[in-house]
Amino acid sequence: MLRDVAFAVTLVVFIVLLAVATGLGGLGPLPPPRLRPLAVNVLNTTYNPYYAARNFTADAPEAVTAVVWDYRGLDTVFETAVFYGAIIGALALYREVSKRVEESRPRGLSTIVKVSTAVMVVAIAAVGVSTAMHGQLTPGGGFQAGSIIAVAPVVLLVVFSKSFLEKAGVRYAKMVALRSAALVGIGLAALAVAIAAGAMGCWGYVLQNQPKPDAPLGYPPRALDVPSGGSLMVFNVLEMLAVAAGFTVVFLVLSTSEKLAKEEVVGEEHGY
Amino acid sequence: MMAVDIVMGLLAASALISVIATVLAVQARDLLKAVIFSALQSVAYTLMYFMLMAPDIVLVYAAVAVGIYPLILILLIKKVGRYEV
Repeated sequence: MLRDVAFAVTLVVFIVLLAVATGLGGLGPLPPPRLRPLAVNVLNTTYNPYYAARNFTADAPEAVTAVVWDYRGLDTVFETAVFYGAIIGALALYREVSKRVEESRPRGLSTIVKVSTAVMVVAIAAVGVSTAMHGQLTPGGGFQAGSIIAVAPVVLLVVFSKSFLEKAGVRYAKMVALRSAALVGIGLAALAVAIAAGAMGCWGYVLQNQPKPDAPLGYPPRALDVPSGGSLMVFNVLEMLAVAAGFTVVFLVLSTSEKLAKEEVVGEEHGY
Repeated sequence: MMAVDIVMGLLAASALISVIATVLAVQARDLLKAVIFSALQSVAYTLMYFMLMAPDIVLVYAAVAVGIYPLILILLIKKVGRYEV
């Protein structure tokens, strides 16, 4: 009891000290309330058909997605590669047992939970797909959409069972293949304009989205009469596939039964 | 100015809820309860991000911190046992 009180008092004192220090200017001079030049530049160029410097635009109304996949697209490509490597690390821990199919047939939770989950899973997937497809118009994008969609297989895993997911076609090999295909797709979409420009004998850039003054090729700025942000839509959809498949395969591996998981480590004390 | 005050008030309320939820999560002996308090803290953070006008972060934070992360922990708790001794 005394310990709890001491803990609470320490926490309150710490928070109050932090607040006082911040209030007295401990963070240094705060940025002025008006827009800074960098923000003005981004806002002028991200989507503005009437702006004079139309030569440098992403043609996407959502400035955050435009910055993530166009202004600093190379950073995001490498972030995706890091995520890919992290999941490879997780899979390497279970490399022997991850491909084996379980024999047991668990029943899962009750019918009420199962039916309501079945409805929810469709809604989760729809929200995820729309987050990716509208990523260039509204807040959201590939990573957000992928992590929203990844919630669906995890809920199915808990409420139904692993063998239900595997019977429905969500298997280890398929998810790994989908994830690799999406990553290759991101690479190809990044190189597409440069390759096409090389074939046509003009100048082109890696990760080029809209035509530039010295590089006349680019992605189409509209899809079905809606601003598509050129390459942004392609990148968002591919990133969604990569992230959703990556999370799903990690959950499939993590939910391996204890019996199979122990087989993985059983030989280690004999040092083979 | 009124709207700013309301946002600041909601922000303070969310921050308070998150601190209380964190303390409860740290002190809980039942690990399943600790996960639920941690999710409550994440909900408070999600509201704070939304009021600080970062909707892109809200979308990913809500999915990861309320959906994926607690479910991973529940899978782990199923393997290691529910009560901390």
